[in-house]
Amino acid sequence: MNTIKSFIIIILCLGLSSCDDDFLDVTPSNSGDASTSIQTLADAKVMLTGIMSNMTSSSYYGRNFMLYAEAKGGDLTTFSMGRGLDGLYSFNHSPTSGSYSSFWNSIFNSILQANNLIVNIEKLEDAGSEADFDDVKGQALTARALMYFDLVRIYGKPYSYDKESYGVPNILEPLDALAQPLRATVAENYNQIISDLKEAQPLLSKGKTNGYLNYYANLAMQARVYLNMEQYPAALVAAQEIIDSGVYSLYSNNEWVDSWTGQFGSESIFELAILPSEADLGNSSLSVYLRRAGHESSSAIGQFIASDYYLNRLGEDPNDVRWGILSYDEVSETHMGASYKYSGDINLGGDGKSTPTSVNIKVIRLSEIYLMAAEAAFHSDKGLAATYLNEIRKRAPDLAPATAGTISIDMILDEKSKELFTEGQRFFDLLRLDKEITFNDDLGGVPISTRAKTIDRSFYKTILPISQEEINANPEIGNQQNPEY
Amino acid sequence: MKVKLTGFLTLLMLFLAQLSFAQGKVVTGTVTDDKQLPLPGVNILVQGTSRGVVTDFDGKYSLEVAEGQTLQFTSVGFEDQLIKVGASNRIDVSLRESATALDEVFVVAYGTATKESYTGSASVVKSSDIKDVPTASFQDALAGKAAGVNVTKGSGQVGSSTSIQIRGIGSMNASTQPLYVIDGVPVSSGNSGQLSDQIVVTNNIMNTLNPSDIESISILKDAAASSLYGSRAANGVVMITTKRGKKGEPRITIKSSTGFSPSWATDNYEPASTQENVDYLYRVFHDYNTSSGKSEAVANADALRRLNVKFNKHGYYFETNGTGVGESLMIKGMTDGLVNREGQYYDWEDAYFRTAVNQSQDISVSGASEKTNYYSSFSYSKDEGRVKINGNERISGRVNLEQKIGKYIEFSAKVNVAQTELTGFNDSRNLSSNYYEQTRNLLWGLYHPTNYKTGEPWTARYGSLAQNNVYYDNEWENSSTTLRVSAIEGLKVNILPELNVQTLFSYDNIETKDHLYYSRLHYNGQGLGTVDEMSTNSRRIVSSTTLNYSKDFGSHNLGFLAGYEVEKNQTDYIRASGKDLPSSNLHTVATAGDTDASAYYWGNNMMSILSRLEYSFDKRYYISGSFRRDGSSKLGPDSRWGNFWSVGASWNISKEAFLENVDAISNLSLRASYGVNGTLPPSNFGWRSLTGYSAKYMETAGGVLSNVADESLSWETNYSTDVALEFGLFKNRLYGTIEYFTRDSKDLLQSVPISRVTGFSSTLKNIGSIRNKGLELSLGGDIIRANDITWSASVNASFVDSKVLELSEGADIIWVNDSDATAQYIYREGESTLAFYGYEYAGVDPENGMSRYYVNDSENPQAGDFLLNGRGATYDYNDANYTIIGDGIPDVYGGLNTEFKYKGVSLGLDFIYKIGGKLYDGAEKDVSDDGYYWERIRSQYAYDDMWTEQNPNGSLPKVRGTDLTDAIQKSGRHIYDASFLRLKNIRLNYDLPASLIKPIGFDNIRLYVIGTNLLTFSKYTNADPEVGRYAARGWETPFMKNYTFGIELSL
Repeated sequence: MNTIKSFIIIILCLGLSSCDDDFLDVTPSNSGDASTSIQTLADAKVMLTGIMSNMTSSSYYGRNFMLYAEAKGGDLTTFSMGRGLDGLYSFNHSPTSGSYSSFWNSIFNSILQANNLIVNIEKLEDAGSEADFDDVKGQALTARALMYFDLVRIYGKPYSYDKESYGVPNILEPLDALAQPLRATVAENYNQIISDLKEAQPLLSKGKTNGYLNYYANLAMQARVYLNMEQYPAALVAAQEIIDSGVYSLYSNNEWVDSWTGQFGSESIFELAILPSEADLGNSSLSVYLRRAGHESSSAIGQFIASDYYLNRLGEDPNDVRWGILSYDEVSETHMGASYKYSGDINLGGDGKSTPTSVNIKVIRLSEIYLMAAEAAFHSDKGLAATYLNEIRKRAPDLAPATAGTISIDMILDEKSKELFTEGQRFFDLLRLDKEITFNDDLGGVPISTRAKTIDRSFYKTILPISQEEINANPEIGNQQNPEY
Repeated sequence: MKVKLTGFLTLLMLFLAQLSFAQGKVVTGTVTDDKQLPLPGVNILVQGTSRGVVTDFDGKYSLEVAEGQTLQFTSVGFEDQLIKVGASNRIDVSLRESATALDEVFVVAYGTATKESYTGSASVVKSSDIKDVPTASFQDALAGKAAGVNVTKGSGQVGSSTSIQIRGIGSMNASTQPLYVIDGVPVSSGNSGQLSDQIVVTNNIMNTLNPSDIESISILKDAAASSLYGSRAANGVVMITTKRGKKGEPRITIKSSTGFSPSWATDNYEPASTQENVDYLYRVFHDYNTSSGKSEAVANADALRRLNVKFNKHGYYFETNGTGVGESLMIKGMTDGLVNREGQYYDWEDAYFRTAVNQSQDISVSGASEKTNYYSSFSYSKDEGRVKINGNERISGRVNLEQKIGKYIEFSAKVNVAQTELTGFNDSRNLSSNYYEQTRNLLWGLYHPTNYKTGEPWTARYGSLAQNNVYYDNEWENSSTTLRVSAIEGLKVNILPELNVQTLFSYDNIETKDHLYYSRLHYNGQGLGTVDEMSTNSRRIVSSTTLNYSKDFGSHNLGFLAGYEVEKNQTDYIRASGKDLPSSNLHTVATAGDTDASAYYWGNNMMSILSRLEYSFDKRYYISGSFRRDGSSKLGPDSRWGNFWSVGASWNISKEAFLENVDAISNLSLRASYGVNGTLPPSNFGWRSLTGYSAKYMETAGGVLSNVADESLSWETNYSTDVALEFGLFKNRLYGTIEYFTRDSKDLLQSVPISRVTGFSSTLKNIGSIRNKGLELSLGGDIIRANDITWSASVNASFVDSKVLELSEGADIIWVNDSDATAQYIYREGESTLAFYGYEYAGVDPENGMSRYYVNDSENPQAGDFLLNGRGATYDYNDANYTIIGDGIPDVYGGLNTEFKYKGVSLGLDFIYKIGGKLYDGAEKDVSDDGYYWERIRSQYAYDDMWTEQNPNGSLPKVRGTDLTDAIQKSGRHIYDASFLRLKNIRLNYDLPASLIKPIGFDNIRLYVIGTNLLTFSKYTNADPEVGRYAARGWETPFMKNYTFGIELSL
């Protein structure tokens, strides 16, 4: 009988052995609890890093935002439909298909990260934390302003066109899962953006901070925002402070082409780092989207090439240094429509990393500041405007410098197109300044039925629709749909 | 020492027994079946008393009786036998098998049951029903074998996962798959490893179980059957029992088979000829020009130019006689290369596909003695897919051992070791790497794997997307090697004849190592060469202890079970990746210039108590109840414990006096059950709001909020009702079951769409409910039952109605089935759980060849550009509204199985069928493109059915060069009737006459041939009508026809 007893005891022991209280508390090994993830300055820095990482996503600066501004701005065209993201070019948008809602979704996710960080820092500060959160908080505020600025330009009419129309929901703290926020006006968004930038400005460091935001990036954002609001003096003040600080310097004509092979060059005010093991999109990177079809990879299918309008503009001076980053495309061996800014150089040299597709994204660089200064000054001092413009215009050495007599807004815009080609500016500039946009559909003979060959900002598809998915989950916002969608 | 001790104890017990019942004597003996194999579990009752014993697993018993008393031997599946005790102290009994199917013993949750006594709903599939079918996993062989069980496969790739849905679709976001239990222990199922994230291929973990090792499969369908598995049982339970030995001489069985798959089971979008496709593309280009007002001559010239641009480089140029749109083109060969390809078109089908070969070798040794029962096997099998790089290999070994220790203790060990190695290819609509799609849609006969000018391999893309995989096949490789070691140790102590304690301890370790390599020449190699090694190691430890009690009190029987179970799951994941590989011979991370790694783990734990009470009276009335309480780490502290229960009853009407004399009725019983069970969330940490740290930036860790969660998240609850009538007529020559069920799944985990302004698109909530109800019929019988000839047949049919009852806020949910969005569906209250959603197609206008759509304006049914059949219609789908355009759930599905035997020859036919319900052909948008993508080839049917001036009754629209996107819309154009009948297996079996083989020492020699998927009848003929669980066809690999030849030797 003892054997039986002892067996029963063994069995019961086996059965009950793992029965302790913690047994049902299994925690993840690669994530932490959201509610307790920001307790210290170090935690806050980790979350700030997360925000920068988020901005490198393919649906934001990593790719789509740049292509949005360029494909829609007429500086790019496509040689054949169906290769990817061609809906941006053809304006094939509706709430149910081709809504490109990833802009809305991805940027609001980034805004959540910024809101979460700002709110938690404020909580820690209120609780009397000794740590110096200034710089982190300043960056989070500046990042939030940047995100709202991009979002309101994609979904709202230009401030200069109709600032009382719908912008985007103005959200400043993490929301409940079931919240159904509604849109603010464009003006309200801009006010928030200015308010964030102003609050952040004194908190930020003035030193160069590779891959992150600093005081000058904040000023650059102010210049951009004020230009959109047509507050030219304020824009000029911000731009001039950057230029005059001497922290950044323009590339010389000799340096210009090579500048794309390097990271964090002397012009870079805000540059997002793309590393091979991080945000490198490989075969779906900007590098692949913009290079010649078949170049080094049969996955390169030449989604977008420079339009003849752009090439003709740059062709005003065959010796313009900026030809150096272009190469021939699939149209012919003389059609220089393949762009290599995101490949380092025209031989896919990259910018010093192991893959040519992991090239940093220059979000704000000094050349743009000069051109913004020129535009801002144009309204008060054409001579000063010409001075700023010529600093960039001289990259086309055979062109005559602008003078107070010859300078025009179009001349500044053309220069901006030449200089900042594929850098995410063109479409927004044309909308802001109410210019016509003409598309080079005839180059590839692509049949486009979803927009006219030439459009301007009165065309309803110059802003994206609120997607049906958003409306399904947030029905009231359906009443605030952009007109005509 | 131990033996002595046990022997001593036994003697002591006997001595004690002797003392207390001094008037009798002890009778011992062995109970066997008519083949002299021992029968465990036989009830032996001293008639007129309540005293009795049960035989042990060797069929032995010992009982104290007095001379002259009568012993009653009863065992389910056998005829009762009465024996009067005489002078002898030994009574060996051989029981005859009874004919009634009702008496068969089968495995159920935490025990065994017979049809007669069981109050739940279970289907039993025996090894003989599925043997010889050449499938890697037993799951595939279950198709059509049991009512209410829907077996589907997402892909015809060998080694891929199988879906089993029992009684409809019970969930939207959590699993709809049953719980699998092998030899009493819950195991994991589905895909193993991480390769499915990189290339769309699944690695079915069930492939590690050798189908030849399976003795029987019980499929538990209702709550009374499955509630003992509580929070995981809502979708039913599949219980697998592996083989054990039979008493007698060791039995050696050797089985070997080889098979071939020379073709697909059906036509699959067979392309039109090269000539026809050139004419088609010319038509598109021509129309592009004339549509913008150009003359025919200009259009002809431009179309020829475009064709020349496209195909000159492959060695062809084109001419026409006239300039019209309907020209038949002359395809000429360029003469400036190494070869003139005129009239020579490359056969890509032949280049990518092969006659696949499958083979398997099994050897098993089994036997049993007084104290020991063993079964061991070793097997090797290799299956090839028709696509040249798809294959699956398995080596497995098993040892099942049962050992009696002394008189009261039984020990068992079941150990299985298996290794599988799978190689696959992208099964999605991945245009550059889905070989099957390419042959149907992208690779023209005008493309060749070599350059006609140089003879070098062609490495650029063909058109924008297709790749020359004849070349690239040598530039990449993938494999998933899975090693599974599982051990189940059991210990049973028979404390009293009617009471025992049993414990099972199981350790199951599954390690899948995935390897994916692309050379620097491969288009996915980023110009550098990449290699990924991923190791996923899942360990599951289960400990379960149960107390079992069962005793007869006269005509009353009482059974009781109480148990405790703990389960721990942990998965460790390690990935190492390398980029920049210096040598094409070295495919290792070690040689890479740039390396990257990740490792972490996840898991979940569960704790449960369980119990069951059973009572029966006079073998006429049975009732049972079960209760289980589960605690799971997948849920938050306040909601992690849940109670699950069931009640059931059955009434054996045929044993009632009023039916006793009705000869026609051999069995008639009615049973009913009701109960509650559940489904846990699929995610381990779904209730936690988390910050993830994968947002690495500039080599620094970055944190991001990764979800917004509901802490009170709970399991889904399933309320099942079941009523069934089972009958056997004319001495069970005709038998069957009629069964009705309802299954209400409530508190469904729904990924509730939320405003994206929150930063996320959805959050998990317990909202929503689904009702599945249906009727299951099965009918079987022996049509001929003669000495030499038998012919038996059985048919089963499942009628299931599956509807969404309730959704969050009543809001529709639109969803797609896979990453390709092959089809689009809607969950809408009151509608089917598999409702296709899109534009309602109204066919082609015979006047002009344009597609027409019904507008479906809910406010004005006549809104539209014109009226068609009294309804508003339009040519522009943009003006139409999405609506429900079909139901993917069949009206009825099931199987038809028949077997004909004559002496040693038998012929079996297994059909599966599906009647009603629609399928959505998501690949059709590619093969019947209206001219949107200027590089696709068209299928023959799509070419033949295309509207032209000459063919105004064509069912497909006129091909245009004007950017028509009609074909790629989700619309009724791609909806087809999904009904089909398929001869799944045909089996011819021949047992060599005993007179021939006994002299040479064999017990049996069996030769067989089995053909799979040989015949298919369906209305839908464009591709295979047997679709996966979402009733959609995309670019997944089709099924193959297979012919397998085998031999089995027993000695």
